[in-house]
Amino acid sequence: MIKEIKPSLSEKILFIFLILLIILTLGSFYILNNKCLFVKKIDLNKIDFKDKQNIAIMEVECGNVLIELDPKIAPKAVNRFKKLINRGSYNGSTFYRVIENTLIQAGDIEYGNISNLNYSKVGTGKSGLGTIKSELSGNFLFNAGSVAFARKDQFNTEDSEFFITLIDIPIYQGEYTPIGRVIAGMDSLKKIKVGNKSTYVLKPDYIKNLKLLVN
Amino acid sequence: MRYIILIFLLFFNFSYVNADAIYNLIKIPNLEVHKVDNLNGIKYLVSKRGFVIGDTNNIKCNGINNSDLDLEFNTIQNNLRDYNSNFLRKINLKFVVLCKNLEISGINTGGIPDNKFRTLILDLKFNRKYFERMIHHEIFHMIDNSFPELFKKNKWSELNNKDFSYASCSTCTDLLGLDLEITKGFLTEYSMSTAEEDMAEIYSLLKTNFKEIDLLIRKDNILTKKKKFLINGLKEIDEKFIF
Repeated sequence: MIKEIKPSLSEKILFIFLILLIILTLGSFYILNNKCLFVKKIDLNKIDFKDKQNIAIMEVECGNVLIELDPKIAPKAVNRFKKLINRGSYNGSTFYRVIENTLIQAGDIEYGNISNLNYSKVGTGKSGLGTIKSELSGNFLFNAGSVAFARKDQFNTEDSEFFITLIDIPIYQGEYTPIGRVIAGMDSLKKIKVGNKSTYVLKPDYIKNLKLLVN
Repeated sequence: MRYIILIFLLFFNFSYVNADAIYNLIKIPNLEVHKVDNLNGIKYLVSKRGFVIGDTNNIKCNGINNSDLDLEFNTIQNNLRDYNSNFLRKINLKFVVLCKNLEISGINTGGIPDNKFRTLILDLKFNRKYFERMIHHEIFHMIDNSFPELFKKNKWSELNNKDFSYASCSTCTDLLGLDLEITKGFLTEYSMSTAEEDMAEIYSLLKTNFKEIDLLIRKDNILTKKKKFLINGLKEIDEKFIF
């Protein structure tokens, strides 16, 4: 006759501990692999847009980002931005340049698209539309969520690349051409992949889709 | 284990990335904003960790602490208040970077102007005796770099005695004295190094001690012509310019 062996108290505790450890490990793995888990989704129906003509919706990995364009401050720059959006030029554009917790940059149409990303040339590409003159404003404050055209070291070299600030950068006031502001979706932008030891990101996140609310 | 820790520390000390918002603008890493709300639009930036820049990493400057800053900041600010925003815009000066023990190619220097990035780097530990003069001296270089057609070196050289010629560069000569030492047509020994340094010396001396220097200049016909030359150029940039 086989005698039933009952686990001791310490064995029961160890067993429970192991189960908890497995749950914790799997849970952590899931959380770590899902960077968008705690990002609040935007419900477009709940937002009352004041100026629907100037709202751009940018879809990134963690959700939508709404940008309110400001043609009063930089009419030519906003016009260029809209033109490129309507052409679909920004779809697939990578956030190849990310300064952690500071700013993200995308919009190299020639060399920065996820489908043909050229790591050696990204940041030097052109839109084919030529450069536009800087439209600087002493009144536009570069708070977190400011969207502006990037440029080379000189002014009047804006083309298609743009950046979004993740923090207030007051020193940029009057230095870059503002396009508008993020009005919703900053959490999604903060989850954009950061480079390890460089501002240039390998296997970067990208804009899945960028469109205007009203065409 | 000790070596692993050492390698780890070295890696973190020397592998920092030039990745910050200010670097984006003026290509100098590790700067912090010190004061930006100035009437003439100057933005003061400080380096607390030091930096190495230049195509060949030939420009070096050490970081400063708050006590360094407390000592000299007001002096710098008071001297730069002499220039209005319109003038500063014309001469491409917007950012003033403060650090200490500034050197270029191993040679100590008080300041380095960079018109391309509208930046003037100043050494807070530069000799106290010449500190204010140095600020205006470097500003003159920014003026000259922005308007070389107004300060033609050959025209300036013609104002000197015929038997005099400048060195080929400011560091190619031993004429480095900064004390007031009037020789026919020159205010300091350093003035004799190159035409641009000569201009910057006269400009900075007039800017910091106009009455006394002007009296000395009036006694020397070459210096009088040089002063007139400078004023003519400066008036072209800003008709209201005064020393």
